[in-house]
Amino acid sequence: MFKNLEIFQVSHAMAVHAATRQSAVAQNIANADTPGYVAKDVAPFMEHMKPDSQGVTRLRATRDSHLNGQQDNAKPAIFETKDKSNSPNGNAVSLEEEMLKAVEVKRQHERALAIYKSSLDVLRASLGRR
Amino acid sequence: MTEFSDALSITASGLRAQSNRIRHVSENIANADTPGYRRKTISFETELSGANGTVKAGRVNLDQRALEKIYDPSHPLANEDGHYEGSNVDLVIEIADAREAQRSYEANLKMFEQTRQMSSSLLELLRK
Repeated sequence: MFKNLEIFQVSHAMAVHAATRQSAVAQNIANADTPGYVAKDVAPFMEHMKPDSQGVTRLRATRDSHLNGQQDNAKPAIFETKDKSNSPNGNAVSLEEEMLKAVEVKRQHERALAIYKSSLDVLRASLGRR
Repeated sequence: MTEFSDALSITASGLRAQSNRIRHVSENIANADTPGYRRKTISFETELSGANGTVKAGRVNLDQRALEKIYDPSHPLANEDGHYEGSNVDLVIEIADAREAQRSYEANLKMFEQTRQMSSSLLELLRK
């Protein structure tokens, strides 16, 4: 029963997704004044999940190495967005948008950690160690 | 955790690049009245080696706009018609550039703080 707890895997994947997106946003903000820089982003977390035949939403394997025991490798990929630049130096980063994204990322990360923590508390309670 | 240390190093490179930029802006402003001074500009570039996507300030360029001609026959550098060449620094442009650099610096600083908070709340899970 304790061997494969899906909720821990999902919250782990969610935290990893938030961290990867954070690094993409940090890159965009650092390069906000670099001429010709194209903004980067990560696909939404929902795309890593999909409902299976029983209608239960599970983590999706996007590579062969996933879900064979360890799905920790389900690392979200950073890709370049197709945003058109509207500044004369060809830079397509909008600082305001990036700040909003950063807030979103922070909230997602906190949510993932909260889920992890409360599941851990439940587990502890079931073992009689509060 | 590697994402966080990546993000921190990228943000740090952004901070470094912006402070380099503000250094050149202050140099330009300090020399606004130096005869024959040409305004210095730097351009940012994404570094391809090392951590992915760090930014660095590229080489310094001199602004090739014409120097301002100032009429002052008593000036030691004045030519026969009483003009001498001042600098081509435009204070309004420099102030605007400094403001933009400050804004970007603050954005980077905010990202640094947020990444730090995220990683410390992750480590918080180990307590208890």
